[in-house]
Amino acid sequence: MDRTEDDAALAEFEARIAAGEKIEPGDWMPDAYRHQLIRMIGQHAHSEIVGMLPEGAWIGSAPSLRRKLILVAKVQDEAGHGQYLYHAAETLGASREEMTEALLAGRAKYSSVFNYPTLTWADVGMIGWLVDGAAIRNQLMLAQCSYGPYSRAMVRICSEETFHHKQGREMIVLYASGTPSQRQMAQDALDRWWWPSLMMLGPHDADSPNTPQLVRWGIKTKTNDEVRREFVNEHVPELQAAGLTIPDPAMERDEVTGDWRHGPIDWDEFWSVVKGNGPCNAERIAARTKAHEEGRWVRDALAAFEAGRSAAGARA
Amino acid sequence: MSRWEVFKQDAPGKPHQAVGSVHATDARHALINAAHVFVRRPAAASLWVAHASAIFSRTRQELAAQELSTVDRVDPAATAAPGAPLEPYEVFRKSSNRRSMTFADHVGTVEASSAAHALELALAEPTADTALAWWIVPTAAIAASDPADAPAWFEPARDKLYKQQSQYGSGPTPTVRRADP
Repeated sequence: MDRTEDDAALAEFEARIAAGEKIEPGDWMPDAYRHQLIRMIGQHAHSEIVGMLPEGAWIGSAPSLRRKLILVAKVQDEAGHGQYLYHAAETLGASREEMTEALLAGRAKYSSVFNYPTLTWADVGMIGWLVDGAAIRNQLMLAQCSYGPYSRAMVRICSEETFHHKQGREMIVLYASGTPSQRQMAQDALDRWWWPSLMMLGPHDADSPNTPQLVRWGIKTKTNDEVRREFVNEHVPELQAAGLTIPDPAMERDEVTGDWRHGPIDWDEFWSVVKGNGPCNAERIAARTKAHEEGRWVRDALAAFEAGRSAAGARA
Repeated sequence: MSRWEVFKQDAPGKPHQAVGSVHATDARHALINAAHVFVRRPAAASLWVAHASAIFSRTRQELAAQELSTVDRVDPAATAAPGAPLEPYEVFRKSSNRRSMTFADHVGTVEASSAAHALELALAEPTADTALAWWIVPTAAIAASDPADAPAWFEPARDKLYKQQSQYGSGPTPTVRRADP
């Protein structure tokens, strides 16, 4: 394609997005659009897979059969969500093997929030309420994404994940209205997860130089700060109604806009975790690597089975 | 392992819809993986899988570009081979940009001499103008779930009410009951 054709294709592409059309596999798209999506969807898929670890650690210690069934289903959902997302990235030409390799080699990122430990059972509920609550806010935005396969994966994920959010809220509200030690457990969990939940929605708009292009191309339909504001506005009144204290002395409601305004976020901590120095980064990658290595014989057996079938087919 | 596209039917009489893909060694394996990945919630009556390489795909934009280019280039696949035997092809179509968790819907079966020929026949249908994307799959390339497996594969999800958001109330209100300190 020469320069003029490229410009014309880009103009048509941007016009389609402005008109609310979805871009589908096979359609023309700028290389930068494809690469941004592969990076974002890959990170998102890895987050679902790594996200199984902090909660999965508690399956054996769930306090009742009901809570265990819920937690097993939730962790199983995260595995499924990873599959939906790897599929969406594959429609852009990425391979699942390359994506997995990039995660294990540390070249691909996943959500910073999963590098924090789950110290008590209340952390499981708080992750559902806050981490899934933040993820759903982000994913409702991404469900409007201009790339068809990503948008559809988001719609399916949100429809399933709403239960994750609500079971967490139900659990924490129950503890927050329970015995003093249960209430303390819920408060401690909020103290641990509040700031990481705000951070997981990404740097401030002023520090996200790519955001305007991502918004123009409909990859994102809201900025990080817009999504964070929605998250805060939804959760602060509910956490307070549950009798919990937000661990942010600066948190206040803007009487003019009605928005809740949080204090400064510790971005040094965020970047330190993103760069691999969070409390559990090494543990998470070690767990994924172990699972990948221990699953190798299954992949080898499947490959041998497939080769045997092809050979049998060739002989027939 | 390679990629298989998955089509789910929510209820008898509804169309099979493209929902995503799984990796598998063969059709049976693909169906089992599809049940695990796409039927963790209720509303499945049947699954189809087809190897990704068996799918002939065209978007509206690709078709428009093809029309422009036929002036100096004839797409050999687009021409029905004269005298070639006819085979059945399943036609899937995406017709809307509305918010959705599914891609193309199954809209029917045509007898054609190639996938491109099947698409030509589908494009001749009166409602074809509204289509945004097409998938054409040889009927022989589709494997369907066994109806005998349906109770084991699809029904358990109906009883797992704890996966339904409706089971969990609407959250705390300022009147939430609290134990005294």
